[in-house]
Amino acid sequence: METEKKKLFSFDRNFSAIVNFTKPAKFKELEKISKSEENFINVGSNLSYSPLSFSEKSISISLNGFNRILNFDLKQKEITVEAGITLAELLNFTLNNNLWIPQLPGYPFITLGGAIASNAHGKSCTIDGTIRHSVKSMRIFHKKNGWLNLSENENKDIFELTLGGLGLTGTIVNVTLSLQTITSTNFLTKKYEVLSLSECIKMVKQKSKNKKSFIYSWNMANNLSNLGKGIVFENTMSDDEKNINFNIPTKRKIFLKPFFSTWNKISIAVANKIFLQLHNLSKNIKKEDFIDVIFPYYGKESYFNFFGKSGFIESQLLIPDNNIDEFLEEFKYLFKQHAPVITLLSFKNMSGEHSLLRFEDNMICMTLDYVNNKKNKLFMSEIDKLCVKYNILPSIIKDSRLAKSTVEKCYKNIGEFKEKIKKYDNDRSYKSVMSEKLGI
Amino acid sequence: MSYLIIGSSSGLGRELAYTFAKNHNNLILVSRDERDLIPIKSDIEQKFGVKVKIIELDFTSTEDIEKKILLQKEMLLNLEGVMFPIGLMFEKDDLRLGDKEVSKILYANYLSIGYTIENLKHSYSDKNFLIVGFGSVSGLLGRNLNNYYSAAKRSLESHFESLTFDNSKNKLRIHFYTLGYLDTNLAFGKKLSLPKGNVVSLANIVYKNKNKKIVKKYFPFYWSIIALILKLTPLTIILKFKKLLKN
Repeated sequence: METEKKKLFSFDRNFSAIVNFTKPAKFKELEKISKSEENFINVGSNLSYSPLSFSEKSISISLNGFNRILNFDLKQKEITVEAGITLAELLNFTLNNNLWIPQLPGYPFITLGGAIASNAHGKSCTIDGTIRHSVKSMRIFHKKNGWLNLSENENKDIFELTLGGLGLTGTIVNVTLSLQTITSTNFLTKKYEVLSLSECIKMVKQKSKNKKSFIYSWNMANNLSNLGKGIVFENTMSDDEKNINFNIPTKRKIFLKPFFSTWNKISIAVANKIFLQLHNLSKNIKKEDFIDVIFPYYGKESYFNFFGKSGFIESQLLIPDNNIDEFLEEFKYLFKQHAPVITLLSFKNMSGEHSLLRFEDNMICMTLDYVNNKKNKLFMSEIDKLCVKYNILPSIIKDSRLAKSTVEKCYKNIGEFKEKIKKYDNDRSYKSVMSEKLGI
Repeated sequence: MSYLIIGSSSGLGRELAYTFAKNHNNLILVSRDERDLIPIKSDIEQKFGVKVKIIELDFTSTEDIEKKILLQKEMLLNLEGVMFPIGLMFEKDDLRLGDKEVSKILYANYLSIGYTIENLKHSYSDKNFLIVGFGSVSGLLGRNLNNYYSAAKRSLESHFESLTFDNSKNKLRIHFYTLGYLDTNLAFGKKLSLPKGNVVSLANIVYKNKNKKIVKKYFPFYWSIIALILKLTPLTIILKFKKLLKN
């Protein structure tokens, strides 16, 4: 089985490595490569913000040829697919049978295997939690342990480790998903103006109680006086389509990256103003289609490209209800002191139960995109201290900058994950830059 | 109506299976490892609603071919054509290659194809039937790598030329494509001086040409020019440029 040298970047472009890359097309090839002495790590579409799919010391295994539908049971609402299938390919089949999984991260070219390894969530996370809730069973291949069937009833421990396990338990090859009925690919989007962070949080919490629509916000963070001003969106699915016939593009568009970041205080202020004005001028209720709502980054890839070659840093924080006011007060104080350059601030409510390495809980989820510079990193390191102080969970999947010490303090169950995975694979055959950084 | 595709678990064979299925044709897919065919069968059946039969066999064994294909008369009843996107290579295929390996290469890449075509006659005599073979540009010139593979592919090309002559007055359609490197796993990790051919485009070309009486083409197209140059150039001159022929 051939490997080729390839330079891989984390999506936030903070990490890169020239790695040995391989793309088995047959089962025998997947098995053959495991006889190599080297370590491995799985790569889906290599779209994770953190460096989860490569390491100089590991062979990156891509399963993008393993993207087929193995079984579909319309009555039981179940589908078995290979893990290299992209969300677009999966939905193009299920939507036309009026079925889907609702826990979809915001970009259609992410592979199902990647979404499961990162326990992805989407806009529906208040109602449906993370993707693990849709996974009924899996079949994985592990260098030492061979082929394993995983489910609640079979190898349960490894099943749990694999859901949100950053691809460290082996290569996810097949997945059986429980599907849900979808009534339409059309959404009605309502907008509510908010003038401060606290008003926004209150609105997000209140609207999220409805559990029938997707609630999230867009907030300004270009300066202290604007901090928190913005819009809360409410997407409600229509029920006007009897037979859905919807196609999601399956090919990615390629955009050129400028050498330097075009996001700065001025350009962000201008972009925010234009965005807000456009929304003020448009109707408070409008129709949107599936791609606009579920895959908001599709067609808007330039937003990330504007960060240039040096990339950006995304931070996602799960904040407990009882600490959110104190946290936001200190956040504002630090914001005043450091004046960070933030391109995106957003809130949504999340449901679930945090365990192992999984980023999920019944908390408010705050997302921030930072321009990659020293000043911002200093601000973020101060926020890290607040995470420890207020029992906030920062996302390992999103924030490649997180230090081992911060993660160990915030992820109370990381020790359990390490212990279990060591027991399962004493040699720790699957390693990425991020797993090595976190000492997993 | 169905098409038999020998070597359909990956690369060109897999792509041909999807292209023909998309166009409402049932398929009989053959490969060495059934595990690779099962996902293709289920995927194609779910997506295109056609019937797919899969056969695991060792194409270097004529016994296996006879038992699992040729004697399955019912399976072959509505056969419209057969395609051989198959290739067996060994890493160290030089003049010192062992007898067993040489035999496998010759059977998989040439002899078994001829054997299958000849013994399938009962399925296609008097019928409008398609036979598609795939050669390799490695067969243009013997070199010091892929010795037996290129010899087998060159023989296969000659065999298809004979088939074309032999069947010029009946309804049989004989197509032969001589292939350069394609963007499949066979070429993965190889640093090549020339661009790889796109396997999806090739599968579409094979499908579009399927009703033509005779097809003999190079793919990618630029190989037809290189082939012409190689055929016109004396071997003594070619040897002076042998570094260029490394790939």
